[in-house]
Amino acid sequence: MMGAIAEQLIGLFVDDGLLAAAILCVVALISALALSGAAPSWVAGLLLTLALPAALAASVLRSVRRQTRSR
Amino acid sequence: MPNLTTVISVAGASFAASFVEAVEALTIVLAAGLARGWRPALTGAAAALVALALIVAALGPLLGAAPIHALQFVVGVLLLLFGLRWLRKAILRAIGIIALHDEDAAFARETRELTQAERRLAYGFDWLAGAAAFKAVLMEGLEVVFIVIAVGAARGLLGLASAGALAACVVVAAIGAAIHRPLARAPENGLKFAVGVMLSAFGLFWTGESLGVPWPGGDAAILAFIALFLAVALGLVGLLKPRAGARA
Repeated sequence: MMGAIAEQLIGLFVDDGLLAAAILCVVALISALALSGAAPSWVAGLLLTLALPAALAASVLRSVRRQTRSR
Repeated sequence: MPNLTTVISVAGASFAASFVEAVEALTIVLAAGLARGWRPALTGAAAALVALALIVAALGPLLGAAPIHALQFVVGVLLLLFGLRWLRKAILRAIGIIALHDEDAAFARETRELTQAERRLAYGFDWLAGAAAFKAVLMEGLEVVFIVIAVGAARGLLGLASAGALAACVVVAAIGAAIHRPLARAPENGLKFAVGVMLSAFGLFWTGESLGVPWPGGDAAILAFIALFLAVALGLVGLLKPRAGARA
């Protein structure tokens, strides 16, 4: 039962692995830019605001394409 | 002092998300109770609530000790993973790519499986029913605990978020006790859609704040992020639903 619970716990955050990876990459990259001073903090905010909805849209589009191809 | 926008967003997100989780837990507890008896089902559910209380008691002091920016960052990233996952699934369900979650079907499946399973009693207790109820309440309860921490901790509004979650659980339990049926008519995908939007907005806000982003309007930026994710999600549904329907 513990294995199943651990699996479900991970499943709370990761469903589409590529979406999870995209979110983590976006956050890591923008954090590096902001914390190193390579980009002003308002640019980091703008990048987050644009990149995260884009990652969502890409994940949905990919799922729809995959589904319609398999039909 | 948090403003009204934050208070309403935190309480609303916590209530709506916990409502969805409580409905799912109720379905399994009802199936276990009706198929194999109320004693093991309610004992399993109560044991899970005790386990959840212990987890909360252990996590509480850790949250208080964590530096606020580190807490905002971790909570923000986890909210993005959790919220965007819910939102993606809700969009795909709205488009028709994956089937809507059906509480009646889940109830029927769980009841059938529990009824067909061999009745093994140990110490006069039906462990299968107890374990099913325990696991359902623990898993859905962990999601509720995470949501409460995620939406409440970064602004010191854990009490408010907990009240929203508790109210949702009490409402669902009261309805379940009254009608003895799963809450199949609850607009689950609509709620998941709304909660996904809200949690994603909170995640974006906390992550940016932890990086020192000066969000225009302060906490009111959460409303702008809610509007942004809602527009993107509804836009995707509007754009892709006709295509998916035409190809079906």
